[in-house]
Amino acid sequence: MLKNPANRKVLKWSLITAGSLLLIGGLVYFYYATRTHDDTATLKPDYTVEAIPFIKEYEKDHQAANKKYAEKIIAVKGIVTATLPADTTINIEMKDTTTGSYLIFAFQEKDMAEAKNLKPGDNIMIKGSCSDGIYSEILGTYFISFKRSTVENNLSYN
Amino acid sequence: MKKTILSFFIATISLFAFAQKKTSTSATIAFDASTSIDALPKAENKTAVAAIDPAKNTVQFEASIKNFTFSNPRIQEHFNQEGWLNSDKFPKATFSGVIKDPSSVNFKKDGTYNVTVEGDLSIKGKTNKVTAPATIVVAGNTLKTDATFNIKLVDFGIEGQAINAGKVSAEPKITVSAELN
Repeated sequence: MLKNPANRKVLKWSLITAGSLLLIGGLVYFYYATRTHDDTATLKPDYTVEAIPFIKEYEKDHQAANKKYAEKIIAVKGIVTATLPADTTINIEMKDTTTGSYLIFAFQEKDMAEAKNLKPGDNIMIKGSCSDGIYSEILGTYFISFKRSTVENNLSYN
Repeated sequence: MKKTILSFFIATISLFAFAQKKTSTSATIAFDASTSIDALPKAENKTAVAAIDPAKNTVQFEASIKNFTFSNPRIQEHFNQEGWLNSDKFPKATFSGVIKDPSSVNFKKDGTYNVTVEGDLSIKGKTNKVTAPATIVVAGNTLKTDATFNIKLVDFGIEGQAINAGKVSAEPKITVSAELN
């Protein structure tokens, strides 16, 4: 086929390069396609806050608060005001009863059992990924949503 | 006489309770845009706000776009980016509608009712009419509701290579469920 050794060498290196690129592309795709979120329990919080002052910060200027907190890992100390069924799971609410604004935490699947043990009045720390805080036209209050939350047992964060 | 007054009092309280707007802060909205090529583009939001007003036959939902959770972080990033939902600029999706056939549900009587809900769905700053079959379960003072419908992404200004390539469904399925008190 290719009698010229120089051409054979070019072909050989072309095939090696193409194969390597395909392999790298496949590995990159596999990495992104199979990637999952980190376990929130293993993540150090970007901020540790008290529930009511945190809500007040959103009520004062929710856009500024979103710039600071959205998509960050936040550990929130506060009192559970309600446990709310959400389909087959449960959410935990911490509400400012003077204004009606509230934080709402949806949990990681692995932490659901612990979340289900919580009850109104419990003074706890929950760590989660803060989605954002928005004004509800329906309720006339702000609500700040958290996803992939976990009950935080390490109360030493500052 | 005392019994009659007590019965009247209880009936009045019950009617008042039913006439009040029922709300939930933990409604679940599932978004499924998976295809035979890609099973990953699907997400859930478990902290949507929902309300049904039995007196006015209205149905409302609000959801934070950023609180839709995908199993894959890369897809979640794409979902929120400017070319897709642009959640920084349009942080919430809303629905405001009515029960089209109010006589098909009796909020004062326990039971399972099949209704049709019609209203305006707003996503990414665009509003479109949506009509969907829904189920309302009346159980005491609690209402449970479920609805499933499809939307056309292009109607909400959402287009992209992944849709053209068949990796993201052009008409994802939306499932809404809520327990309202």
